[in-house]
This record gives sequence, structure tokens and C-alpha cells, in this order.
Amino acid sequence: MSAPVLAVTDLTVTLNRPGGAPRLLLDRVSLDLGKGEVLGLVGESGSGKSLFCRTLVRLLPSRNMQIENGRIMLGEQDLAQASETGMLSVRGGRIGMIFQNPTSHLDPVMSIGNQLSEGLRYHQKLDAPAARRQAIAILRQVGFPDPERQFDAYPHEFSGGMRQRAMIGVALSCNPEILIADEPTTALDVTIQAQILQLLMDIRRERGLSIILITHDLGIVAQTCDRIAVMREGRLIEQGRKRELLRSPDHFYTKTLIGSHPSMPSPAMEKKALTSPPDFRATRDKPLLKVEDVDVCFAGAGSLLGKQSGSVRAVAGASLEIMAGEIVGIVGESGSGKSTLARAILGLTPITSGNVTFDGTSLRGDPGAFLAKLRRETAMVFQDPYNALNPRMTVGEMLAEVLKVQGRIPQVDIPARVGELLDLVELGREFAERRPRSMSGGQCQRAGIARALAVNPRLIIADESTAALDVTIQAQILDLFRTLKEKMQLTLLFIAHDLAIVRNLCDRVVVMNRGQIVEQGTSLQVFEDPTDSYTQALIRAIPDIDPDKSLLPLADREMA
Amino acid sequence: MIGATILLVFVLAALLAPYISPYDPVTQNTDLRLQGPSWAHLFGTDNFGRDVFSRVIWGLRVDLQIAILGVVFPFIIGTLVGTVAGFFGGLVDAILMRLIDVILAFPFLVLVLSIIAILGPGLTSFYIAMALVGWVSYARLIRAQVLVLKNSDYAVAAVSLGFSRARIMFRHLLPNAVAGSVVFSMSDAVIVLLNGAAISYLGLGVQPPIAEWGIMVAEGQPFITTAWWITLFPGLSIVVLAFGFSLFGDALGDVLGVKE
Repeated sequence: MSAPVLAVTDLTVTLNRPGGAPRLLLDRVSLDLGKGEVLGLVGESGSGKSLFCRTLVRLLPSRNMQIENGRIMLGEQDLAQASETGMLSVRGGRIGMIFQNPTSHLDPVMSIGNQLSEGLRYHQKLDAPAARRQAIAILRQVGFPDPERQFDAYPHEFSGGMRQRAMIGVALSCNPEILIADEPTTALDVTIQAQILQLLMDIRRERGLSIILITHDLGIVAQTCDRIAVMREGRLIEQGRKRELLRSPDHFYTKTLIGSHPSMPSPAMEKKALTSPPDFRATRDKPLLKVEDVDVCFAGAGSLLGKQSGSVRAVAGASLEIMAGEIVGIVGESGSGKSTLARAILGLTPITSGNVTFDGTSLRGDPGAFLAKLRRETAMVFQDPYNALNPRMTVGEMLAEVLKVQGRIPQVDIPARVGELLDLVELGREFAERRPRSMSGGQCQRAGIARALAVNPRLIIADESTAALDVTIQAQILDLFRTLKEKMQLTLLFIAHDLAIVRNLCDRVVVMNRGQIVEQGTSLQVFEDPTDSYTQALIRAIPDIDPDKSLLPLADREMA
Repeated sequence: MIGATILLVFVLAALLAPYISPYDPVTQNTDLRLQGPSWAHLFGTDNFGRDVFSRVIWGLRVDLQIAILGVVFPFIIGTLVGTVAGFFGGLVDAILMRLIDVILAFPFLVLVLSIIAILGPGLTSFYIAMALVGWVSYARLIRAQVLVLKNSDYAVAAVSLGFSRARIMFRHLLPNAVAGSVVFSMSDAVIVLLNGAAISYLGLGVQPPIAEWGIMVAEGQPFITTAWWITLFPGLSIVVLAFGFSLFGDALGDVLGVKE
């Protein structure tokens, strides 16, 4: 490695609280970034990885935070001491940034092309026509198929993936030496994620750019980075070359992180692979849930004359069966209709045609009885653990309410049952008094699961229930689902965009694309030997934690 | 904090009016007409020789009542209507919203004045008029919140758990939707207070000789150049009370977590 472009030594950032002792947010972080190097910065939410990168460009999120100590050497310049005007030419010009959510970081009332030209004109002092030519060249480089025309398009006209490309373009327009990418693909589907990562690697190769890639997904790091740095609670706990670190991590936390990566085979998965998959069809004749040819259409926007301008078919002809005691996964990318299908099954979204049968009662037969039965015997677990709980109720109140409405146990036994439910989801009983605001995401999700269990359900539908959680928490929640399934003979319908999770947890997998079920089968079948071309593409796009299982065939991975 | 302090002092003063006011608010004493502020009469006396300070304190009772009752009834009606409209949507929503549009089409004071004119002058008429007209803002505020909240996951969860509509509306949606309206009710109290004073000034609200700030301002008007204290102190009291409500509303917003 040549001399580092960026050398950070003992960087310490504190938060000064009025009337309290200052809190240490970054604790003596030292890190070097070589020219043309991709450094993966890994850690869970709150580990300080984003704060570290914002400190590099001196954009601290609060006035109460300050750099207490340390140096940030960019070439000969110490950014920790630089003046605010001095930083203006550094931000963008020498260090570019891209963020997780391109939608909120692009100006919605400015065309993509103008947002690119802005940087070119300011940092490279180009005149308007030259900037336009240069911007079009950059748009082409970041993968816009028709840059001349797309120059004048606005952010809302593009998909999430294209917006992220545009944002990378904006960062490149200033021709920086270092690019900081903060969770650049977290909001994207796996296939798009693979494309964006590929793009970053191509740019690195073409421009010799150094990249700091912040991510929570070790798979991405394994696929793209040269070196890995692991952060936790404001400290850099370990760093090293990718292969060495992944092969023999020193710190126990790094080991946990690697161990909880969903692409790692879990013990349960290995067991499943050894024993032949259980044949549910042979043992039980009737499925618990049967979905036949279900269509869900949403009305398009009506015109002024009240005529409907056509409708969107969110789910088209979906059929599936779930046996009692099975864990079935539905996977698909955003917009594939998987959540709509789940809501339709639970009677939360009306279906346009088709039929749903739950344990003998069918929607077409007797809708009233069907809904009543569903409400008593099924429950749902949601994606966003905070949004899923009423913020004004304590966990105890919430559980007691469900028990009261269901009316199956006498009033006096409710407090005891609430305690049991908390035990089941491995929350302490003192959580009955807590409100969602004072709980972590994982704790809220456990409370949400407890609420689902309060119904004593036979079927639980979990809609992206781990997507908003950190990996180690994710692994814990998945374990909880497994344990509960064993303990309570639950049937579980698990919806996720993350294939690795589904693979580990589910007996059977249903793959959806554009409202249609394109493939279903046992997890082993679907993941080892997918028949549908879309499924194949989807599976190929999962970043594996093993750097030798290449995601990006063209990436120039071993830099000299 | 300041807002809460102002309100607390005012409420205490209103409750303790019989004990802290130095003179009777309605007893006339022609020997003491139009005296300027002095140690004996802090705020001076009016054209009937009544002590302005005592009248301001007794007026506080009436004006606080106006501000509170003038807000409470519209708040309750508006909250119920807004929740129902937002939750059910469709035809129910369309009808209620058009009704609101009709009420909003008239200038607020004109509508209030006509209702009072029909019912006859007096505070009761004023409260009825406020209840009939004032609820629309609350209904709109709550409806917008409920529209957002009814799609939140916890509302969907409540549906999927078989909760009744009433339970979802009033136990889950309303408590989360109401914060913005509570804050608004504080600034509304200011408007109602000023309206109450205005109505009394026009002779349609509180009737003399009862002490009320609006009437006091009205009565002092002919003497404004010679005996400024008759109008100034009740006017100033209105401003300070309004200021107190306003500050308290802001603080309440911070506590309830309403985003500005």
C-alpha cells in the first residue's frame, strides 16, 4: 500500500450536554485509507460509523458535538484544524459523499443534470456548456442509458436504483479523491444492490478513487472491500485485511457479527439438510391455509370526470397452500406484491377475485365467519417495530387489551397471562410498564410478537419482521421465531426481501415477481436448484460472506 | 414555564377574587369618579367611581370562563366529528367535510353574531354559537391526523386482532391524533377570549354592570383621552392572559411531542 490519502489519528468526538458530563461518541479512532483502496466500515446502528464519516468532513449533526482531540490528515492538510471556509473546497471537491436514501438527498425541484453541473461549475470552474458536456459524460459513466435526454429529467422520474446512480454521479462531478458511501444500497433490492456495488467497483478502477463503504452487511464488505474496520460503541475494535479478518477475527464482537450473518449456515439449517425435508402433503391431507387464484387490483387514480384510468394488478393469480406447522417464506423485491398478498390473506385488503380458505372456512363461502375465524386464530407481525405499537400504551396495557377483547380467559387471569407472554418472547416482566419510546427496536419487535401470540394464533404472518433490525438482533428474533414454532406448533408465513434469512428459517419458499408467483418449492430445492430465471438472478445477487463466492465477476478485487 | 406561571397566577386570582380585590366591583361611588392610579386605587377608578383593579380581578373570572368553555365544547364536538370522518372516510367523510366547508364559507364573527342575535344576548348564547361554529378547525385537524394514523401498523394490527371500530377509533387513533388539537386549543383560547371581549364590547355578550374586560374597554372608550387607565388595564390584562395561553400552548406542544 502506498502512502495513505487519509490518515486519521486518535479522533475523539464528544457530546456536551447542558448540565451533564460530556459523553464520548468517538473514542480515539485511528484509521488509514490508501489510494484506490476500498475500506469497509462495519458496525450496528449507534456504533458511530456514520458519525465518524461525518466528522471527516466536519459535518457534525449537532452544535453540541465537537472534535475533542485527534488529527484528520488529508494529504498535508489537517481537517480537524481547518477553517470552515477551508472545508468548503474539501467537501465535495476532495471528499465526496453518497447516502442511504437517494430520494431525500437529491433536490426534487432541480433536474438531475443541473445537480451534476452545479458541482462541476463550482469545483472545477467550468462554464455552462462545458459543464453540461461533462455532466452527460458522467451520467453515461454511472449507467444512464440515454444521458442527453435524461440530463433534464427530475429525480422523481427515476427508480431508486437510478437515483442512487445519479447521486454517485453528483459525488463524482466534483472529482473527489475519496468517496464516502454511507449504506448506499441498504434501501435497494438485491439485484439493484449488486449493480450499484458493481458500479462503485468500476469507478474505483477507472478513477483510482478511494472509497469508505459504511454498511451493516458483512456480505457486501466481503464482496467489495480490501480492508475491513469494525466499530462498536464509538470505538474501532478491529481492523485488518478482508480475508484475514473474516477468517480469523480477534474480537468476540466481530465473531458474533460474522456468525450472525444470514448467509452463514445455522445449526438448524444443517440439521434440515441432513434429515430429508418433511413431507407435509403425505402426513396431513388438508392444508391450514389455501390461497386459490387470488387477484388484488387497486383502482387507478380517477380522472375529473370520475372515470377510472385503469387499475394496478398488485397480485395476479396467486395460489399457494400452507400445511399446519410449516414455515413458509415469501420472497420478492419491492413491488412484487408479497405484502399485498399477506394483507389479502388476512382480510385487510379486499381481494378482487379468487378464494382464500383457512382451516375449512372460506372467504367465498361465508365471509363473516371467515373473517371472525381469521381474527381469532391468526396474527401479524410487522416490519417497523416502532410504528407497529401504539406509542401511548405500555406493553402491558397493549397485551391486556388483546386478551380482554379476545375474551378467552377470565379477567382476573389477564395479568398472569401478560407475564407469561413476556416470558415467551424473552422480555423481562418489568417491560409490562414500559412504552415503545423507551425500548430498542429489538425489544419493540419482541413486544409485537408477544401481541401476536396473545391471540393464541395458529397462523402468524410476519411481514419483513426483521428488515429494520441490526444483524445480531435479527438473528435473535429469528431464533425466537424458531423456538416459538417448536413450543407452540405455530404455522408461520414469513415475508422477506432478504433471501438469506428465508433460506435459513423456512421449510418452503414462494418466490414472487410483479404480482405473480414464479416459483415455489422446498428451501433446498429453490436455493440449490432454482428453475425460474428470475429466482436464479435473485439468488445470484445475494452478497455472500465468503469472498471467494464472487458476486461481482468484473470487480478488480485484489489491488496491488 | 412562563406561560404556566401566568395561567396559574390568573387562575388563583380568579378563584380568590372575593379575598384579594380591595373593593366591590359593582358598587358605585360618585365621589371617586375618574381618579387616576394611586395607592388606594392601583388602577384608578372609572366614571362610576368603581375601582378598576377590583373590576379587572372580577372580570378575570368571567373571561377565563369564556376562554375555557368557549374552547371545550368546540374541542369535544370537533374531535368526535374529525375522528369519525377520518376513520370511516367515503360518504360519511364527504358529507361532514362539505358541512365544514359551508360553515367556513361565512366569516367567523358574522356567523357567531347572527347566532347570538337569534338566541338573544348573553354568555349562554355565546357558548352555543362558539360550539356551533368553532368545532370545524378541530374536526379538520383531527381528521388529517386520523387519516395518517389509520394506515399505521398498529392500527392495522388492531384490525387484524379483531378489535371493534369504536375501540380502534377512541382507544388507539384518537389518543395519538389529539396532541396537535390540544396545542391548537391553547391558541384558540386566545382567539375565543378576544372574540368574547369583542362580543361583550358590542353589547351582545356579558351585560353590565358585571365586570368583564371587553365591557370595561367599551365603557372606558369615551374617556380614553382623559382617563386612559379605564381602558388600558383591562386591555393589558387581555394581552397578558392571551400571551400566557399562547406560551403554555407552545410548551404543551413540546411536551406532547408535536412537531412544528
